[in-house]
Amino acid sequence: MAKKKGCMGCSFPVAIVVVLAILGVGVISLLGGALGNALLGDVGLPSWLLAQSPEVHLPTDVIFHFLGFPITNTIITAWITIIVLLTIFYFGTRSMKLIPSRFQTAVEFVIDYLLTFCEDIAGKKYGRKFFVIVATIFLFVITNSWIGLVPGVGTILVEGADGHMVHLFRPVNTDINLPLALAIISFIFVEYWGIKTLRLGYFKKFLNTHRFFQGFKELFSGKIKQAMGSLFNGAIDIFIGLLEALSEVVRIVSFTFRLFGNMTGGEILLLMMVFLAPFLLAIPFYGLELLVGFIQALIFAGLTLVFATIAITPSHSDE
Amino acid sequence: MEGLGINLSSLLAQLVNFGLLFALLYFFAYKPVIKMLDQRSAKIKESMEQTEEIKKQHELAEKETARLIAEAGKEGQRIIEQATLIGEETKQKAKQDAKVEAEKLLAKAKLEIERERDEAIGELRNAFADLTVMAAGKVIDRSLDKEQHRQLIDKVLEESNVVNN
Repeated sequence: MAKKKGCMGCSFPVAIVVVLAILGVGVISLLGGALGNALLGDVGLPSWLLAQSPEVHLPTDVIFHFLGFPITNTIITAWITIIVLLTIFYFGTRSMKLIPSRFQTAVEFVIDYLLTFCEDIAGKKYGRKFFVIVATIFLFVITNSWIGLVPGVGTILVEGADGHMVHLFRPVNTDINLPLALAIISFIFVEYWGIKTLRLGYFKKFLNTHRFFQGFKELFSGKIKQAMGSLFNGAIDIFIGLLEALSEVVRIVSFTFRLFGNMTGGEILLLMMVFLAPFLLAIPFYGLELLVGFIQALIFAGLTLVFATIAITPSHSDE
Repeated sequence: MEGLGINLSSLLAQLVNFGLLFALLYFFAYKPVIKMLDQRSAKIKESMEQTEEIKKQHELAEKETARLIAEAGKEGQRIIEQATLIGEETKQKAKQDAKVEAEKLLAKAKLEIERERDEAIGELRNAFADLTVMAAGKVIDRSLDKEQHRQLIDKVLEESNVVNN
């Protein structure tokens, strides 16, 4: 035979075996999952192939107490995230060279990407200052969500502090305390830079009484018609200022629930898919969750960056 | 709040985790990598400036080379012209010299010929005189005083001036 035949790099027999194996896994998956159970009823598969009904509960489980301080499964997973990140960056930056190795290039690419991102939005001067927090938020969130997809997270059971069997690892972003902690850090970071850059001028945007008092002045100097206009606009300014102040605080809530909701939703989606058909069917959703993890990390870091950039920009009433 | 699982200890723990990660990343990632990135961009900038400088110098050198070549060509042309001129002059001079020499030789040769002729004539005259004396002696059968006789003949010849041109 002059021409070599084959299918996707395999010879025909190998390709056929692979296709059959995939089909077999698919069939078992359908039979073992809830989907097949509902359609065909129990076909007598061994129990370890049957999908467990997923339980969703939002509070985390305490694994053990350390000096009276409860250590939950998400805290342990967060430590793993920290160790993973630290390992990557420690070995990536251990022997830095001007002409980098491949690993160093990869590490530098990540940092450079985030640095460029910060500098594009906040400008050269502040981009560098914002970078450290923004990049840490990004790396923490994205690593947390990707580690949540590793087999073992959400499947290994240990005996918890209260005697129940609980998960040893759990995706950190699905513990509302982490998004809340990040949101608080983001809030403090934004307010800190706003006050540091604009000093007292920063609060002008929340307490904009300038035009209101101007209206009073005009009222007493007899310009009634002008005064009414100024008083009205002044009242609106004060109201807008209050809204600004409120939105500043509401950000904590929106930050928290955006990340928490997306990640918990993704986790539940994966649980449901695995429940419906344990194999194959869930794979595309894992890909989706990779993307969602990246996007959520980018949104959290990006919004923090944008809010900080807005905070350091003087408000218009300064003119 | 309880249903969501918010509690102070976990929140504090996550804040501490974030702080820890921040500190570690700051020292192991941001500081060295940014330093390296800055160093590299400085290096690249420097290299590019150097390249620009070298390019400029190269252009300058090329121009200089072209100028030198053109100058050398001109100089060569000039030298060739001069050489041609000198050659022409030399040729002319050589010709002149040769001519002069030839003329000199010719004159010398003429002189020589004249001298030889005079000599031959002298010799002939002598021989003739001797012969005449001998013949005359034989004819008159009397030996004249030889010296006297010669003088006589010379005188005759001088007077007659036949042979002498």
